[in-house]
Amino acid sequence: MREGDPLVDWAWIVEHLDDIAFRTVQHLSLAGIAVAVGFAIAFALSLWAVREPRIRGPLTAVAGGLYTIPSLALFAALIPITGLSVLTVEIPLVLYTQQILVRNIVAGFDGVPSDVLEAADGMGYGRRERLWRVELPLAVPLIVTGIRLGAVTTIGLVMIATLLGDSFGGLGLFIKEGIQTFFATKVYVGAVLSVALAVLVDVLLVRVERRLTPWAAGRVSDDVSPMPAGVPAGA
Amino acid sequence: MAATTTGDGGGATTVEFEHVSKRYPGTRAGEGAAVDDLSLTIPAGRIAVLVGPSGCGKTTSLKMVNRLIEPTSGRILLDGADAAQRDVTELRRGIGYVIQQTGLFPHQTIGENVATVPSLLGWTKERQRERAEELLALVGLAPATYRDRYPSQLSGGERQRVGVARALAADPPIMLMDEPFGAVDPIVRDRLQNEFLRLQEDLAKTIIFVTHDIDEAIKMGDLVAVLQVGGKLAQFGPPAEILAAPASDFVARFVGADRGLKRLSLSRVRELTLMPAVTVRIGEAGEAVRARIEADAFHSALLVDDARRPIGWVRPAAVVGDGPVSEAMAESMSPLLDPRTTLKDALSMLLDADVQAGIAVDQGGAVLGLVTADMIAERMRGPDALAAPGDRA
Repeated sequence: MREGDPLVDWAWIVEHLDDIAFRTVQHLSLAGIAVAVGFAIAFALSLWAVREPRIRGPLTAVAGGLYTIPSLALFAALIPITGLSVLTVEIPLVLYTQQILVRNIVAGFDGVPSDVLEAADGMGYGRRERLWRVELPLAVPLIVTGIRLGAVTTIGLVMIATLLGDSFGGLGLFIKEGIQTFFATKVYVGAVLSVALAVLVDVLLVRVERRLTPWAAGRVSDDVSPMPAGVPAGA
Repeated sequence: MAATTTGDGGGATTVEFEHVSKRYPGTRAGEGAAVDDLSLTIPAGRIAVLVGPSGCGKTTSLKMVNRLIEPTSGRILLDGADAAQRDVTELRRGIGYVIQQTGLFPHQTIGENVATVPSLLGWTKERQRERAEELLALVGLAPATYRDRYPSQLSGGERQRVGVARALAADPPIMLMDEPFGAVDPIVRDRLQNEFLRLQEDLAKTIIFVTHDIDEAIKMGDLVAVLQVGGKLAQFGPPAEILAAPASDFVARFVGADRGLKRLSLSRVRELTLMPAVTVRIGEAGEAVRARIEADAFHSALLVDDARRPIGWVRPAAVVGDGPVSEAMAESMSPLLDPRTTLKDALSMLLDADVQAGIAVDQGGAVLGLVTADMIAERMRGPDALAAPGDRA
C-alpha cells in the first residue's frame, strides 16, 4: 500500500462498476453450479446410503477424505486432464461440497422419528410414497442447513480459482490484483463483496427453508448445525 | 366423543390367530420365540386386549395382523381369509392403526393427518376434507379450531384423539391399538378410555388392543389375552373370568393379589339386589314413625322429601312425642350411589363414610334402596360372580 493513498479509492470503484458486476456474477455462478451439481450427486448418494446401511461408512469416509485434499494439489492434479477450463474449477468445488451435503442429508433422513415411519408403514404407504411424502419433507430442515453451509464454504473457495489465471477467479481476482499492485481498494472490494454474497445467500436459503417447512414455525433449523462451516485444509 | 359415524367400509371382521409363531433368526426351535403357537379367535365387533409383561410378544402379535411383522409359521385369518395372501398395502389401508407415540406426521396439518388413508386411496380432496372434519368432531375436537393446526401445536391428549380419528378415516372393520393411551397422564387416559368405549358402542369395530397395564386391560377388554414371556398364551377369556379363576400361578401373579378388588370394578350397583329402605316423610306423626323405626334392623329410617329424595337418617330417640317429623330430626347422611357406579367405587365410598349403608338413587335422585358392604362381599362370592355382560358365564 502506497503512503498517502486514501483508504478507499471511491473514484476507482465508480469507474469499474462494470468489472465489479461481471466478477460478482461470475463468482456467484461458479459457486452456484458447484452447489447445484454437488447437491444432485450428494442427494443420490445419500438416498443410497439410507437404503443400504452397509455403504454408509465407506461413503462418509470417502467424502471426508476428499475434504482433506489440499485445493492447490487438486487443481495441480487436474490441469493435465482438464486444462485451464471451467471443469478444473468446478470439479474440486463439487468434491468439497460432498462432505457437508452427504452428512446433512443422511442426518436429515435419520432424524425422521421412528414412530412416524411405523405409522406410515402401518397405514399402507408404499416405499416410494413414504420416501417422497413423509421422509423427504421431514428431512428438509437439515438438508437446507447442509446447503447453507455448503454454499457459504463454496463462495469462499471460489477465490482459490484465481490460481488458475485470470479467467475464473470471480471476486478473488480483485484481492489477488490488489495485493500484487499494493492497491487496497481492490482488496476491500473483493473481500467485502464476497462476504456480502455469502451472507445474502445464507439469508435467502433460510427464507426458502421457512417456506418449505411452515410446520416447524418457531423452531428454526439454526439450532441444528451438525458441523461447523469451515474451509478445507490447504485452501 | 359422540354421535355416529358414516363411511363406506364399515362392519366388523372376525380375527383368528391359528398356531401363529414368530421366531427371529439365531434362535432355535423351542427357545426364545417372540410368539409361541398363539391360537385365539376375536369375534367381530369385540375388543380383545393383549396384556402381559415386556417381552411377552403382545406387540409382535399385533403387528403380525397388519404384517408389519410376518409370522414364522401359522396363519392369521380375517373373516376366514389368510392375511398373508392379501396385497400388503391394500391390507394395511383396511386396518386402523394407532400407536403410543401417535406417529402423526409433523409436516401435515391435523386435517391432512386424519385424511391420510383416504388420500392414499385416492378420494377427492373435497371428500377427504369432509371426512376429516366429521372424524375430528367425532373424537371431540372442533374441526374449525383444529383442522389447520400442526401436531406440535396440540397437547398429548389431543394428539391421541387425532391418532384415533386418523385410524378410523377409511372406516376399517379392524383397529389395532398399541398402547394408544400410554403416553398421557392418568386423568386424561381415564377420559380417553371412557370416550373410546362410548365410541365403540356405536362403531362396533373388531379391536385388538395392546397394553402392559392389567387395569386398562380389564377396563377396555370384552376379552383379555394374558401373555407370558416367550410369547405363550397363558389365559384368554372375559376379564371377570380371568380375575375370578386365573388359569396359572403366572396369571394370578400378573393380575395381582388384589384381583378380588379388581373384580369389583367389573360389577355395578344396578346388578345388586338392593335392600328396601324404611322411609319416613316430613310431617308424619311421631308415634307411628318411632314404631316403624324400632322394627327396622338398623334402628334408623330414611327421611325423604315429596319426590322420595333422601334428606338424612332419623333415629327413634330423635322422634320425641307425637309431633310431626321435621327435617331437623335427620342426623347423618349416607353416600348416594348411581346404579352405574362400580362396586369398587361404591365400596370405597362406604368405607369412607361413617354409616353402614349407601343409598342407591335413580336419575331424579329418588331412593331405590340400600347398599351395604356385606351385600357387595356377598355378590363377589355368589354364583353369578363370573357373569360378564353378554359373554360366556
